[in-house]
Amino acid sequence: MIWRLAAATLLRRRARTALTVAGVAVAAAMLLDMVMLGSGMRESFRGFVEQQGFQLRLTPRGTMPFDSEATVGGAARLADSLRAAPDIVAVAPLLGTKLFTPRAGDDSVVAGFLLGLDPATQGDYVVVEGRDLAADDELVVNANWLAATGRRIGDTVRVAQGYEPQVRRFRGARTLRVVGRARFVMLAGGERAAAVPLATAQAMGGETTRDRVSVLLVATRPGADVEAVRARIEAGEPRVSALSTAAALKFVDERLSYFRQLAFILASVSLAVGFLLVSTLVTVSVNERIGEIAVMRAIGVARGRIVAQVMGEGLVLSLAGAGLGLGLGLVTAHWLNGILAAFPGLPAAFDFFRFEPSAALRALGLLVLCGLAAGAWPAWRAATLPIARTLREEAVA
Amino acid sequence: MPLALLAAVLPGPPVCAQAAPVVPRTVTIDERLAAAAALAVGDRVLLAPEAGGPGDTVTIAAITRRGADPSEVARSEYRVRLHLDHLQRLAGTGDRVGRFAVASAPGVAPESVAAAIDAAAFGFRAYPAAAVAIETSATFRVVNRFHRAIGIITIVASAIFLLCITLLKVDERRRDVGALRLLGLSRATVVRAVVLEAALVSLVGSAMGAGLGWAASALVNWHYQGVYATPLRFAIVTPGIVAFAVTLSLGLGLVSGWVAAQRLVRRAPLELVGR
Amino acid sequence: MTLVLSARDVRRDYPVAGTPVHAVRGISLDVHAGEWVAIVGPSGCGKSTLLNLLGAIDRPSAGSITIAGRDVARLGDAEATRFRLTGVGFVFQRFYLMPTLTAAENVELPMAEAKVPRVEREARARELLGYVGLAGRADHRPFQLSGGEQQRVAIARALANRPALLLADEPTGELDARTGTEVIALLDRLNRDGTTIVTVTHDEELAQAARRVVHVRDGAIVDDVVRRPLPPAAPADGAARR
Repeated sequence: MIWRLAAATLLRRRARTALTVAGVAVAAAMLLDMVMLGSGMRESFRGFVEQQGFQLRLTPRGTMPFDSEATVGGAARLADSLRAAPDIVAVAPLLGTKLFTPRAGDDSVVAGFLLGLDPATQGDYVVVEGRDLAADDELVVNANWLAATGRRIGDTVRVAQGYEPQVRRFRGARTLRVVGRARFVMLAGGERAAAVPLATAQAMGGETTRDRVSVLLVATRPGADVEAVRARIEAGEPRVSALSTAAALKFVDERLSYFRQLAFILASVSLAVGFLLVSTLVTVSVNERIGEIAVMRAIGVARGRIVAQVMGEGLVLSLAGAGLGLGLGLVTAHWLNGILAAFPGLPAAFDFFRFEPSAALRALGLLVLCGLAAGAWPAWRAATLPIARTLREEAVA
Repeated sequence: MPLALLAAVLPGPPVCAQAAPVVPRTVTIDERLAAAAALAVGDRVLLAPEAGGPGDTVTIAAITRRGADPSEVARSEYRVRLHLDHLQRLAGTGDRVGRFAVASAPGVAPESVAAAIDAAAFGFRAYPAAAVAIETSATFRVVNRFHRAIGIITIVASAIFLLCITLLKVDERRRDVGALRLLGLSRATVVRAVVLEAALVSLVGSAMGAGLGWAASALVNWHYQGVYATPLRFAIVTPGIVAFAVTLSLGLGLVSGWVAAQRLVRRAPLELVGR
Repeated sequence: MTLVLSARDVRRDYPVAGTPVHAVRGISLDVHAGEWVAIVGPSGCGKSTLLNLLGAIDRPSAGSITIAGRDVARLGDAEATRFRLTGVGFVFQRFYLMPTLTAAENVELPMAEAKVPRVEREARARELLGYVGLAGRADHRPFQLSGGEQQRVAIARALANRPALLLADEPTGELDARTGTEVIALLDRLNRDGTTIVTVTHDEELAQAARRVVHVRDGAIVDDVVRRPLPPAAPADGAARR
């Protein structure tokens, strides 16, 4: 009966109940988005890093992967010595350089990014059309590169690592055949990219890239102590920094800390807005029904029941708002993710907003708790009002 | 003229002065590198293109503070400045440069200078500094779009909140308004009173919001200037922004007041007083 | 005759704007099972305060009030609430029905609180509404009922848990003469059927209908007149037979 009364009270003023639920829904949507933003970037990046299947990244000392043009020399010997270590099961050397390609049909030149790698161990791209690299004179490219150069799979193209526009001269040019189209996992959206066998990329750069790599990806034996392997590598090879997945995540955390902080602030504001809305509505609702509540107390309804009824209203409002907010939040997250997809320097498939059911449930649970708490004060006030005086004042009113 | 270089950072062990055969050349380093490697003006360090490789012993002549450049805010590299010829020799690039910075004569539009260079010099592309700034501040443009989207959501939430509060306020005074109507007050008077009240609440709220925004922007600037070691101002409350916020809030107040008032005056006075 | 209510030297003082007001000044009153007592007096004489004290809505500053063997002045909040639920039935001048509930649901409310099974309470609500002449109005909401009808629903609600005593504060105060007479007739029928009633009233007709009239002035009883003695076969406990 008390729940029936609570429901009836909410339905009595439909417009304002609907508005409050709508307000809580927007707050819930914002809260959900911010929770998705707060954890999404990290989890998305973790997904990329783990998808590659390597636990360590070796870069020229003091640099981050592909953050500068620095390279490490003596790459073959370094890779061999790493492969010989007992806890290391795979080593994938990578060389990143510029790539220049004449456009088909005119004399313009398209700039892009070239990745030299070992096709057998690489984890940087997934072939989606055609086939993978099988020979030194082959090239796997992404859709952006194909679109920009006007080439197709099967074409033979001239590519180079350097280009002097004043004299229209290519440096380190090679004629290669496009054998496949791939999705490059770690590349930013809009970037034109191609991959060739490492030896081809090194040869194209001449002396400046001979036996040099930008990054060495290292996969450790399952169960191995990754941190110990990392420390051993850094101690034995002073030219490189070894970056673990955790350190890479920390780096991303630092670079995108702004978004996490913004997410935290906006999530807090959303909770506060939800709290204020519910507490305002419940307080006004209690004030309006102060006489009814006094009568209920007078005819023997227990304090606990009154508290339950008033807090129940807050609970229903926040539950309804949270339910609506879940759908609204997913829609707005999709919209906001589309805006942030253009964030420079991040992989194209990077998600700022990632839906994690447990995190979403926790966030919305927190909002519902806020709704309950919002009803607590008016509920306590309603339960402890002086019955006789309230009835007298109501009679006068 | 010193050339900006994003170099691989190689703070080496200080080299004894007597080991240097000639007077070392000078470099400047930025505050972040000075702090990370505990370096000071006058220190001598080994500067090399590759860790462990051959390089030059140089003297730190100055420690610099980064300018307010949006394109560098999220970057964590250390910065070392060398004389151009020194860098060319050290990096083995010969007589090559990454770009030329050109100062135009006073009163000459940079766009026309850039167009003249593009027309005259084959193989180059000249950009006005403003265009470069826009190009290199992609991060900020994305963040700006994101902020606008968040702003839209906030406006929707505020509109609902304001309408809800106004509705609650008029509902609370339903009986009083009913009594006033019975005493002869016209519908128009009631609407005017409610709309005026909502407008005043909006104005007072937006004034408080502007104050809060100003305080928040000071806090944001203080925090992020520290985090990114930059004098860049991240949040600015301009008169235009305040005017927009006040206008928007006033508009929302007027609309919500009108909607709430209509709900009141549509009902008969006797119904309002609960008879 | 069973004593249902016994008040001894009951006082109630409370401050108004810093000045102590002595609303009830040492009232002693006994009410036996089957009686109908009308407490009358001018406005502000303390009669409603006395009724609130008898109904455990308010607590006396001094004195004792025993109803059906329990000293209600000494009850804690939870016990007083329980007492109000099952020990007494309260009828208010302004009816105070829950506007969102139907007439039947209003009558069921105290029974639901007392955890009476649904089937049983629905049947009793219908029975009580039938008794007060509103069998056909069970599913109407308060705003669909006239003042007299609302007060009759309120009386049915007060009887829901078969209280030992029915307390009514100006039950005809908000009604016109005709509907007031209907309510008085209903109270009379209730009393004849065995319900012990204490009413506070200004209404001369209501006071005339009661078996006993207690006059209160300035917080004290100034006169106590038995107009119609109880019949010899008065009920033993005075609990509502309806």
